Amino acid sequence: MVKLLGAALVAGGCAWLGFRRALELKDRVRALEQMAGGLALVERELALGAPPLPRLLEGAAGRCDGPAAELFAGCARALARPDREGFPALWRGQVARLEALGEEGREALGPLGEILGRYDCREQRAGLAAVRGRLEELSVLARADSRRRGRVYEALGLSGGAFLVVLLL
Amino acid sequence: MEKDRRAAAFRQAAGALPPRLRALALALPEGEQGRAEELRLRAGRPMTVLLDGGERPLGEGPVEVEELERLLELASQSSVHAVLPQLRRGYLTMAGGHRIGLCGTAVLRAGELHALSPLSSADIRIARQVRGACTPVLDRLCPGGVLGDTLLLSPPGLGKTTLLRDLIRAVSEGEGCAPRRVALADERGEVAALYDGLPQLEVGRRTDVLEGCPKAAGLMLLLRAMNPQVLAADEITAPEDLEALSQAAGCGVTLLATAHGADRADLTRRPLYRRLLELGLFRYLVTIRRAGDGRQYEVEELR
Repeated sequence: MVKLLGAALVAGGCAWLGFRRALELKDRVRALEQMAGGLALVERELALGAPPLPRLLEGAAGRCDGPAAELFAGCARALARPDREGFPALWRGQVARLEALGEEGREALGPLGEILGRYDCREQRAGLAAVRGRLEELSVLARADSRRRGRVYEALGLSGGAFLVVLLL
Repeated sequence: MEKDRRAAAFRQAAGALPPRLRALALALPEGEQGRAEELRLRAGRPMTVLLDGGERPLGEGPVEVEELERLLELASQSSVHAVLPQLRRGYLTMAGGHRIGLCGTAVLRAGELHALSPLSSADIRIARQVRGACTPVLDRLCPGGVLGDTLLLSPPGLGKTTLLRDLIRAVSEGEGCAPRRVALADERGEVAALYDGLPQLEVGRRTDVLEGCPKAAGLMLLLRAMNPQVLAADEITAPEDLEALSQAAGCGVTLLATAHGADRADLTRRPLYRRLLELGLFRYLVTIRRAGDGRQYEVEELR
């Protein structure tokens, strides 16, 4: 009985590891899509008018999800501090926290801090569109990666668990 | 109380300075903070404070160009795009209504100022509202408790805008006269100093402000859109402004405006203002003169 219980736990644990890894890949796709969606929203807001950055980012944070909401809200909060650093450094600091985007996603976002709030709306929108395009490319790649490797992780989790069970029994 | 308010305004204005310069400004004794009129920053020179009519250096280290850039970033909330129209006129208004004038190398596009880069100087003018500035003239401008069409006249720096702002506030609040809906065409943002949509200087609860729009177009827009009882504008300088005021007067709106000039004789010497007097748009002319440390107001009936 104990043997059977142990085998079930081993099989379940391995399967969970495989499925969890596959889920992480899906989460990255979603995070990249949410970030690109957030940038598209900021682009549209800048097409409508020229709100100050704290208001623009705070408003966008309330209408986005995932890392976009986290980034915009974090920047808006940081901008309100009287002893804050310059916006580019502040933006990079907030971007560095967005682990869900992966390294390439964070690298794509970083330079936006040099553009947002510093140039006129047209140039900011161009900068946002370029970064959004790069994030969309990354999300397409991540989706393909998730399909391919996700299945492998799931299969490995299940088969690895089964293999261990056979070995242990 | 007034001293405290002035010192608080100074500290608020100093809040836009980069940390090193802010510390220098805030090290001023509170009494001097309350009397300070401006903070002046020039690249390569120590920051100075304009106090009791003279400039005094604050600290010894020179202002760096990067500190001027940082001042712009802090004062604009890292949002240069939101203040670009102001910057192209050489200044920006920050929270509290304090105005930062900027100088540097002009970048032109199509013959017009596009940007200043690099910056070389900045002048932070501390906004101060003089509540009650209109008290000496209010009774005479409001016979029967209702404001008449009024033109305020003085050379630069004698307080035309301050008097205009306080008159608008009083009329809008109904202090000393019947309350009226006031629409203000604040082309240069000096009267109400809108910031994030809010007037930073008190212009009263019944006042609607249109900022940044050329005066003539702004006056007509306000007339059509806001149904004002009083239409106010700072500094009539162009024939179009006269045309707009003339049309507004025809709609039964009370006019309140300012003009540069020493006195009535000075006005009649200049074609634009001569025409203004000929049109008979204004009932009262208030001339502001310096009298010792204070101001003297002369109210003249024009019709």
